Amino acid sequence: MTHENTQITSPPSPSEILLHLGPQHPLQPGPFLLDLKIEGETIREAELKIGYIHKGMEKVFEDRTYIQIMPLTDRICYLASNANNDVYCRAVEELLGIEPTPRAKYLRVITNELNRIQSHLLGIGEYTTDVGFLTMFIYMVRERESIVSLLEAITGSRLNHNYARFGGVANDLPPNYKSMALKTLGEVGKLVKSHDEMMSSDSIYLKRTKGVGVLTDKVASELGVAGPPLRATGVEYDLRRIEPYLVYDDLDFKVITQQDGDVFSRVKVRLLEIQESIYIIEQCLDQMPSGPYKQHVTPYITRPKVGEVYTRIEDPRGELAMYLVSDGSNKPYRFRIRGPAFATAQALPPLLIGTYMADVAAIAASMDSCTSEVDR
Amino acid sequence: MVIYDDIMYWLVFIFAESHPYSDWIRGILGGLVIGAVFGGALVMVYLERKFLGDIQSRIGPNRVGGRYGVLQLIADAIKLFTKEDIIPANADKWLFIGAPIVALTSGFLMVAVLPFDYLLINGSYYAVNVTRMDISILYLEAVSGLAVFAIFMAGWGSGSKYSMLGGFRNIAKMIGYEIPLGVSIISVAIMAQSLDIVEIVEAQDFLWNIMIHPLAFIVFGICLVADVGRIPFDQTESEEEIIAGWATEYSGMRWGLAFFAEYLHAVVGSFMVALIFLGGWNGLPIVGNLYIPGIFWLIIKTIMVIMFFIWTRGALPRYRIDQVVDLGWKCLLPLSLLCLVWSTIIGLVFG
Repeated sequence: MTHENTQITSPPSPSEILLHLGPQHPLQPGPFLLDLKIEGETIREAELKIGYIHKGMEKVFEDRTYIQIMPLTDRICYLASNANNDVYCRAVEELLGIEPTPRAKYLRVITNELNRIQSHLLGIGEYTTDVGFLTMFIYMVRERESIVSLLEAITGSRLNHNYARFGGVANDLPPNYKSMALKTLGEVGKLVKSHDEMMSSDSIYLKRTKGVGVLTDKVASELGVAGPPLRATGVEYDLRRIEPYLVYDDLDFKVITQQDGDVFSRVKVRLLEIQESIYIIEQCLDQMPSGPYKQHVTPYITRPKVGEVYTRIEDPRGELAMYLVSDGSNKPYRFRIRGPAFATAQALPPLLIGTYMADVAAIAASMDSCTSEVDR
Repeated sequence: MVIYDDIMYWLVFIFAESHPYSDWIRGILGGLVIGAVFGGALVMVYLERKFLGDIQSRIGPNRVGGRYGVLQLIADAIKLFTKEDIIPANADKWLFIGAPIVALTSGFLMVAVLPFDYLLINGSYYAVNVTRMDISILYLEAVSGLAVFAIFMAGWGSGSKYSMLGGFRNIAKMIGYEIPLGVSIISVAIMAQSLDIVEIVEAQDFLWNIMIHPLAFIVFGICLVADVGRIPFDQTESEEEIIAGWATEYSGMRWGLAFFAEYLHAVVGSFMVALIFLGGWNGLPIVGNLYIPGIFWLIIKTIMVIMFFIWTRGALPRYRIDQVVDLGWKCLLPLSLLCLVWSTIIGLVFG
């Protein structure tokens, strides 16, 4: 099971059908084409074709000043907009040689973890519709709404936050935020726990997900898959632990792993990570120092020194990295995004071979790949 | 309740006495019954949207026709009627057009033998139904099987790969569940010593079949959910895998008819559960001497079964198609054979 042999080379035989799943299909979060050669209900060959929503973001970024790029990074993947802001901001800070203020670090961790919770909730929700569990989707989206409201209270917007700034963040917490956040997070934590129990105790759900679409840790590592799909194979790989950025080394949290690497484990990892993120935010709200939330002087025109930088972050979907080359002007000379969803997407076709049509939906959705980010 | 008795008396009297206008009256009764079941299906659609909304913490229809959205279905019907009627160029035209008609016809044909009440008139009993048949259970089974053909016609005739997969899935599923469905009905019929649904209901005047044959009830219930194609057995139109399955290419009123036929099947199926297992028009003994018409009991029980259908839709994910076939052959079929043995034993000991 390698990546090379997942190309459809021969035309279908009389007992086979070549089925184009996409570019428009109810299964998909965005347009991509999944060509399946099926025999009856069984998938014999699968080939993924991407590029339907290519926006040329990296090239666009090279023609914008550093501060103009910030709101555009939201659009890489709208579900991880805060993580995108954050990794870009850290890259530029490294080029400029500045550090965010201590309070800003905590604020960024809080928004990052809230972002992770809402991304996981919507990811699980979409996945549950794909196994035919519409009620759970609406429950997950209902819980996500309250998390998004918490994000809105900090950042001022519900989807594209544009919150991080070089050396700080855009604004401070609103008054009485801590009590509000603790109440909402407590409720969401309890509800997600009960949803988890409901899903794990449903025999039909277990039948659909246990042992389906097993990704081994070797293949996952070879293809650069990170995040929940990798941790579901038992590998304790989490950038928050391995390469602690911001204030993650001061915080207490577990790296969630599962052993099986199947659809069930991937979703279970996300469900447990929601609880862990809630715990992180509670610690941050307790430990957060007072002080300025941004640097005292922010230069109007950002001109970093000549150099290059590669920063990475634990995105809700995996490892998100940005590579910037500065030639000393106010625009980056070269900009490159290494998205987690791209690696996840290329791990998808080999998993599909030999499974049933119905599993395609479950496996693809459990990888939680974002087409917008795959194509950029 | 005197008026009800008078009307029924009048209707049944004319039947029984082979009145010269008997055929006309029978036709009118048929029309009434079809209208009633039609209305029942509409009520089910509305109930489903409201009740499922409650389960999923939504409101459901709340705009057309006041706060409770009672006229939403009429608005939807107007929308469906005025939409463009598209027949794909690839489609086999007559199969494509015929499929919704066959589906709806099979639903209406099932209505013909459903009894709604059993009345004592002039010293003898008469069932209120359009046609009394000796083999009405077999007839119901056979006619409900026609809907499977309708879905396969739609799947094959649409000229789309997704539709065809939906049609194939329906055939595979049908083979899995129709046999246990039939066997579980037969095990009940053995107890009543008749294939006539009226006599099966009459045999339950003391103990309902759900108490004597709980296993047959479970098997029949699962198979019926599969028969009407609702979650967890809606693989034929699971939108995440095969768009809308056999209904992918349908639009406008053809789509409306096809889906209405599904609801009609669900309503008739609920009637069958109420009649065969829940005692039909036999009321609960706790009510005492208060006279409540049998049709009232029947409708209450039917609504309870419909509510159960809606509940399963809200509470369960969907099976994979091979798991449905597995369930049918490896689990339901042996269980239904066990029902047969059980009713044979009961019949030998007490019968």
